[in-house]
Amino acid sequence: MVSESCGNPSVETEAIMTRRPKYDKSKFCIKCKLNSGAIIVRHAVYCKECFPALLSYKVKRILEPQINPKPELSRKKSLKASGNLLVGFSGGLGSTVLLDLISRIYLSHRTEIKEEGVTKSRGGKDHPRNEPVWKMVSVCYVEVASGFPGMTDKTQKIHQLLQENYESLEFIPIRLENAFDLSWWDKVGGKAALDVNTDLTSDELFVSTALNSPDSDSVQKLRSYISALPTRTAIESAIHTLIRILLLYTARSTQSSHLLLGTSLTSISIKLISSISQGGGFSVREEAQEEWNPDSKGAVRLIRPLQEITLKECSMWAWWNDLLVVGKEKYPRGKDGIEALTKEFIIGLERDYPSTVSTIARTCAKLAPKVDAAGLCILCERPLQPAVQEWKSQISIRATKEPSPPSHSSDPSSVLHSLTSYLCYSCHTTLSSRSSKGVSRNSSNTSLPLPVWASTHLQGLLVDVAITDMQPDLKEADEEIWLSHKVNPDEMKEAIGEFLLE
Amino acid sequence: MTTISLRIEFGGGLELLFSNEKRHTLTLPSIVSSDNNSKTSADALSGVNTKPADVEYLVFYLRDHLLQERPELFMEGKTVRPGILVLINDTDWELEGEGEYVLQNNDEIVFISTLHGG
Repeated sequence: MVSESCGNPSVETEAIMTRRPKYDKSKFCIKCKLNSGAIIVRHAVYCKECFPALLSYKVKRILEPQINPKPELSRKKSLKASGNLLVGFSGGLGSTVLLDLISRIYLSHRTEIKEEGVTKSRGGKDHPRNEPVWKMVSVCYVEVASGFPGMTDKTQKIHQLLQENYESLEFIPIRLENAFDLSWWDKVGGKAALDVNTDLTSDELFVSTALNSPDSDSVQKLRSYISALPTRTAIESAIHTLIRILLLYTARSTQSSHLLLGTSLTSISIKLISSISQGGGFSVREEAQEEWNPDSKGAVRLIRPLQEITLKECSMWAWWNDLLVVGKEKYPRGKDGIEALTKEFIIGLERDYPSTVSTIARTCAKLAPKVDAAGLCILCERPLQPAVQEWKSQISIRATKEPSPPSHSSDPSSVLHSLTSYLCYSCHTTLSSRSSKGVSRNSSNTSLPLPVWASTHLQGLLVDVAITDMQPDLKEADEEIWLSHKVNPDEMKEAIGEFLLE
Repeated sequence: MTTISLRIEFGGGLELLFSNEKRHTLTLPSIVSSDNNSKTSADALSGVNTKPADVEYLVFYLRDHLLQERPELFMEGKTVRPGILVLINDTDWELEGEGEYVLQNNDEIVFISTLHGG
């Protein structure tokens, strides 16, 4: 029989689809099945009593297989890291929750012993045989305020917060301008580097050394770096990179084998979409977790233990445990950037379709690059994909005029090279992007100072290039040098001539 | 006309929009206008469609009477902006029917912003 209803909700009220419930089955806790639920996490209902175990389980699932030097999946082996632990703390919700959870799960015996003040004989789980996973635990905060005049410096406030709540942990405050500070670089074991600037007016990104640089102050260099960046998106991306690298070198200098960051599932999904849209697809895996060892001096595992915990769960945890969240400063006009727009989209999506956000992270975790990396990017120290420029020239319209090196090369002490082949796609895009609105720069600054690690890497690579260009009779004493030089067509024909058929 | 007394709390930085006060006490009428207009007087209610005061009405009421600035940071459409969690008596409002939950006397409603950075 043909239906006579037209299904139009404005005519027939019964035609409106019933609202899909936000939870599966019942309102009772899915874990204990006894208590009434207090929170819905992606359609599953949990009570307040079972919620801590849920978060603890999620953290351990991500972190524990990565603690022992050889990734350990079996639970039989006890957990013992090869070095210390550094926890990156930004003052935001994720960091605050991370520090609280790590402290409860792995560090509770330290605070107990400190409170008791006396050495008691400890048995059971506290027996000295069950040694702590990490010998020393430190918390590192990177202050970004120097880069933006008028931004509030929060170092003092954060120090106070950590002293009140995590007395046994060492606080290591560093500053964003350390990325341009040779004395900091020396302290963390970096090799001395010259001041190097790159010219952003062409895609070739020609570099020059600035031997007598007037901007020798690291704060000035940081501000110069920020003001030279072409877009708001580029500024956010670049600062994320600086912070990550600063934390990694700090981890190494504290003999830490692990660096933990409080990136939640929501934040990771935002960062993945935002990064991929800026050309970061090759390092999609590194967004979740990375093993960092750029010069083979000791590896640091960067892990994000909250990557399966949503922002909602973090918020509830902070609320129910009265955690004070200092908050992060927003960058000026940050809402114009890709990351802010992505965040708005994902937060909206998470409310109505919570499973979709976790799908983003899970799908990206299944991705792997088709080709091997050709070394590391000198700026972000992540895998460098081969043939970036070839790809770019195929997909975009390039300048019609051949770019020429800038004319200030009259100074004989400055050496000109292009930075482009040493950068990954994402970093190259960050430095060479063009805003559709046109950039209003405070200064007409197009000269970008390189962070200290980038200068050191670049110098190392250029020395390699110079050696291969050297005359064969120039040799280091006691050392063998393997020289390679490009073979021209005539030489090649001579070498293989007898094998040719014609 | 019966009234309902409510305890409201703001967290996660949301209090900055509400005179920097985290805790507020409100008294609302138990029957309100269906169009969430909190300025309709008690007498005028007999001429309009009414409903029992629910969380949806509360959100409009807070925007119209307590919010000091930037309403777009609190509300979007007929509900709270994405990124704001609502707890009704310490329970996720998604378990209680969200905006359709009918307010009871002495209920505690908490609004937490998850967007204060992190």
